[in-house]
Amino acid sequence: MRLRSPEVGLGEHDSPGEASSRRAVLGTAALAGLVAGLPFFRGLFRLGDALGSPSKAQDAKILQLVLQLEYTQVALYEQALDQAGLDGELRAFAEAALAHEREHVAAIRKALGANAGSKPTFDFGSRIKSAEAFRQAAIDLEDTAVAGYNGQATNLTKATLGAAATIVSVEARHAAWVRAIAGEVAAPDAVDTPMTAEQVARSLRELGMRTQ
Amino acid sequence: MNGFPHFDQFLTAVDRDAALAETSSRAEAALSRRGLLGITLGAVGAIVFGKTSVAEAGAGLPASDVDILNYALVLEYLQASFYTEAERSGALSGATAQAVKVVGATERAHVKAFRELLGSRAVARPTFDFQGVTEQQRPFLRTAVAFEDLAVEAYKGQAPKVRSNAVLAAAVGIHSVEARHAAWMRELFGITPAVNAFDRPASRAKINRIVASTHFIVSRPRMKARNKPHFTG
Repeated sequence: MRLRSPEVGLGEHDSPGEASSRRAVLGTAALAGLVAGLPFFRGLFRLGDALGSPSKAQDAKILQLVLQLEYTQVALYEQALDQAGLDGELRAFAEAALAHEREHVAAIRKALGANAGSKPTFDFGSRIKSAEAFRQAAIDLEDTAVAGYNGQATNLTKATLGAAATIVSVEARHAAWVRAIAGEVAAPDAVDTPMTAEQVARSLRELGMRTQ
Repeated sequence: MNGFPHFDQFLTAVDRDAALAETSSRAEAALSRRGLLGITLGAVGAIVFGKTSVAEAGAGLPASDVDILNYALVLEYLQASFYTEAERSGALSGATAQAVKVVGATERAHVKAFRELLGSRAVARPTFDFQGVTEQQRPFLRTAVAFEDLAVEAYKGQAPKVRSNAVLAAAVGIHSVEARHAAWMRELFGITPAVNAFDRPASRAKINRIVASTHFIVSRPRMKARNKPHFTG
């Protein structure tokens, strides 16, 4: 039985795959309209917490940061699906999360246009060699993604904040999902603690990001 | 779902991916392998506002932020009351009962933080009638999924409208916690915790319409300050 409601346009969701790709297009368009054509900013990870007033230029800088997060997620899930011997719900999680992170990368890259940072290289080491190790790495990375997006909320223009908010809650869902699979508390804090750009960069390096 | 007159209407309105109609309990045991020990619920105000006292942070808020905080407070009242009632009903078991302790404590912490921040400007807690859904595990979980997905949409809709950075930091930190709750309740109910790559926001009008359709709120919240009798001595 499927529940439908004209009020919220459930018809869009008749096919989950189709709904998902349509959503991706909307997300991409929303982001692309905001920061397209801005110059490339170096020193991505040197963003402080207290940045200047929000501006489109600053939005671009922050989008470069979260792009690195998304690249790391895509790489971890791709490599783990190949090498970590995932099965059952953990495999289903990795497949679903990978599809979402790819859509996030596409949306952010489109928003940044030609200035989008290129994909780093990764060496995840033992983190992709067993299901248990991958599970812990996924928890660390998804928690970092939530903290990284949240940490930049007050630095973004309101329009980009709105677009970023459509992504961060999906990262939070991933974090809770993989924590639940691991038998851990899915939502351990009453408020998620934010991370600075520098903390995010350190965390990504610890997980295996090598170059940018 | 007979016996819950407005319940199906509510779920129909909220159920985005039609997955709520599926029934599977495969995930209900997922959390039972390890206990839920070691939970620390830090004082929300302290996390969010650091060394600034909550009262100080609240004093200079723009009127529009006060309005948004009161809107969020009503949603938090709704959730806190819902989980507290479910916990007290004794009808929940296993991983669900454990999760509800954590989530309920979190929603109560959100209520407390908003009330402290708003002081005398906080709206009063409405009276709720959950029409029996807190007394059976499956209807409870189904409604919890709907509430949590709704809360994510509501916070997402308001975040770009917040003017104070302190309130925004709080709102985004709570927004992602509500998303964790949504995923957690979905997992316990046995449906996919993260369906789409992007979560949509919802307007206040839409959230209000959906909440009103449940008839779970049986008295309207009022501004506390306006209800206080004037001192006449």
